[in-house]
Amino acid sequence: MSDATNYVTLTIDAVEVKVEAGTTVLQAAEHAGIVVPHYCYHPGIPSRPAQCRMCLVEIEGQPKLQPSCVFPAQDGMVVYTTSETAETARKSVIEFLLLNHPLDCPICDAAGQCMLQDYAFETGQLRSRYAEAKLVLGRDRVADDILYFGDRCIVCTRCVRFMEELAGDNALVVAQRGHKAYIDTFPGKDLDNAFRGNIVDVCPVGALVHEDFVFKARAWDMDSSPGICPGCSTGCNIDINVKENQIVRTKPRLNPDVNSYWMCDHGRRHLVMANRGVRAEAPLIRVDGELEPASWNEALTWIAGRLEAGDGAAVVSGGAANESLFYMRGLLSELGIDGGTFRVLQGEEITLPGFPKLKLRADRAPNVTGAELHGFKRSDELADVPDGGVLIVLGDALADAPADYGANAGFFLCVGSHLYPAMVNATAILPMTSVLEMEGTFVNYEGRVQRFHQALRAPGVARPAWMSLSRLLEHRGVGEGVLDARAAFQTMAAGTTGMDNLSWSGLGLRGELLSEAGQPAVAVE
Amino acid sequence: MKNPIHPAAASSQAFQIAEIRPIERLFEDDEGRDRLEKALSRYPEKRAALLPMLGYAQERNGWVSDESMEQIAGALDLTPAYVRSVATFYTMYNKHPVGRHFIQVCTCISCHLHEADEVFERFLAETGTRAGEVSEDGKYTVIEAECLGACGFATAVQVNDRYFENVTPDQIPAILDELD
Ligand code: SF4
Ligand code: SF4
Ligand code: FES
Repeated sequence: MSDATNYVTLTIDAVEVKVEAGTTVLQAAEHAGIVVPHYCYHPGIPSRPAQCRMCLVEIEGQPKLQPSCVFPAQDGMVVYTTSETAETARKSVIEFLLLNHPLDCPICDAAGQCMLQDYAFETGQLRSRYAEAKLVLGRDRVADDILYFGDRCIVCTRCVRFMEELAGDNALVVAQRGHKAYIDTFPGKDLDNAFRGNIVDVCPVGALVHEDFVFKARAWDMDSSPGICPGCSTGCNIDINVKENQIVRTKPRLNPDVNSYWMCDHGRRHLVMANRGVRAEAPLIRVDGELEPASWNEALTWIAGRLEAGDGAAVVSGGAANESLFYMRGLLSELGIDGGTFRVLQGEEITLPGFPKLKLRADRAPNVTGAELHGFKRSDELADVPDGGVLIVLGDALADAPADYGANAGFFLCVGSHLYPAMVNATAILPMTSVLEMEGTFVNYEGRVQRFHQALRAPGVARPAWMSLSRLLEHRGVGEGVLDARAAFQTMAAGTTGMDNLSWSGLGLRGELLSEAGQPAVAVE
Repeated sequence: MKNPIHPAAASSQAFQIAEIRPIERLFEDDEGRDRLEKALSRYPEKRAALLPMLGYAQERNGWVSDESMEQIAGALDLTPAYVRSVATFYTMYNKHPVGRHFIQVCTCISCHLHEADEVFERFLAETGTRAGEVSEDGKYTVIEAECLGACGFATAVQVNDRYFENVTPDQIPAILDELD
């Protein structure tokens, strides 16, 4: 057969689209920029139960309306998604879904991002014809951190099928049937799966809500930034939802090469924890034995004039951005210090069976590969500090350091975001933005370079480490300080093995693999 | 009745019933293992034996308890949640304890025309229960049933597996006596 058999051309709402054979009408419509309203269909969940009937469309030659989520596109097909019959059917579905719905949008966490609210609004049913008493189910708990508001549920079974088909744990089910049906676990057996949080994201309405988000923020009060989860070396693509400079929620962002539509619960918890801790807010330099605040210029001049080449040690973090690590390497070379180490917290590896590429990986840091690429070595121990030598610490590496760590150094420079006990020994502290407060890149376990955007405002005058370190180098007469993330990236890419093929805009929202020369040594599964 | 229990609360009364009628474990004796094996032999996959096993649990205990669901899940390699999903889909599996004599009075149209309502009320009065409750001695539960398929013999009453036909209200004390 000819090549043409692989493609079919059809007309949807007068738009002609050519799609691969086997594509459903709903997906074909998406190609044409037409969204067919739907509930039970979720692109990331394999099964297509076609049970909600929301996606019914009219197809010429078909005696009845057809569910577009399962109906295959065929050559010459003529589809109407907004004909009167299709609209009427959609209206009826919404009317049925609203029969027992409490219409509690004013206190529902999904309001503003709810597919039921949107479509009910679109079909324009402002009054219910249902005069009978509504069935009341109330609220239940399906996991220690997830609540189920039964009355809002439209029983699309996305959550049930996520647990069964992606998480491989058939622990969430539909109980009862018909208008009494609701979602439940077995009594005493709440969900304890490490990926359970995704059921909240797939829920098209406000029936499943994370308990730590409930009643916290309205959809329109939040800002959202595309980020990379710093919880482990997978580097899941996420959206970080922020209200009043606090992270209130994180949601997975589609990246078919990394995490599909999903993320793990460790990542979610990890990010909410980012709101905590005591921050370094201003540059501090040691004057007459005391750490005193200084302006950036003052501090950089002061440090640049006192740092001396010689014996030294460097400690970085597997959570620091590539650009910061690159300028850290630059500073170390300038001082004649080789090597440098980082420690990585280890944890249990947990796989999402339905999308095995997504694992909560044992390395609980986002940029282990990047740190290695910049010449830092993984180590179990904090580096030994030569007596009287230079110690430079970049990033959150001292949380558990003994209180006297670095006290024997001749000059102890700490570029950090949080304050930890050992930092009282520092000669100078440069306040650093956390990776949530800056732009930059990480390299994940398989050598994918991914860009993250700024989600939070930095406290005080904290600056990205690539900025402060490049300026420090400038103060020592090496190169020029960089003031924007793109320039930092481009300088780094040009000077780093494996990265010369990359461009800032080319990374986009999906990232790009390092060239072969930079690929991590460990084979990727 | 001294302490009337609303039917909706009946499920929380399992502990009372348990004293009178302990829940038997399903697959720990020859009978249970035999039933399981027979059911399994009839289907290509284990899951298919779920309905017969739920039926067996009800046959043995009068109702399908959470414990029974867990035992069935274990025997068929299913999750207890899945078993519960199926058990709750079907209304004729009792998810609450019932009396030793589970009395279902048909009140559908033919029986309704033949005093079914009076028969039902009389059963409640004689057993001292409200619809769906277990009598204090653990003997009786009375419910209304949809068509029992014996319309030619209205009013039809089913007690456990036994049918009583052409039942009239005044026969009820005699029926109850006979049950004991
Ligand atoms: S809880 Fe949400 S995802 Fe689950 S069935 Fe109900 S509406 Fe669908
Ligand atoms: S798998 Fe790793 S990167 Fe993905 S959400 Fe979990 S912790 Fe974050
Ligand atoms: S999305 Fe097609 S029937 Fe639900």
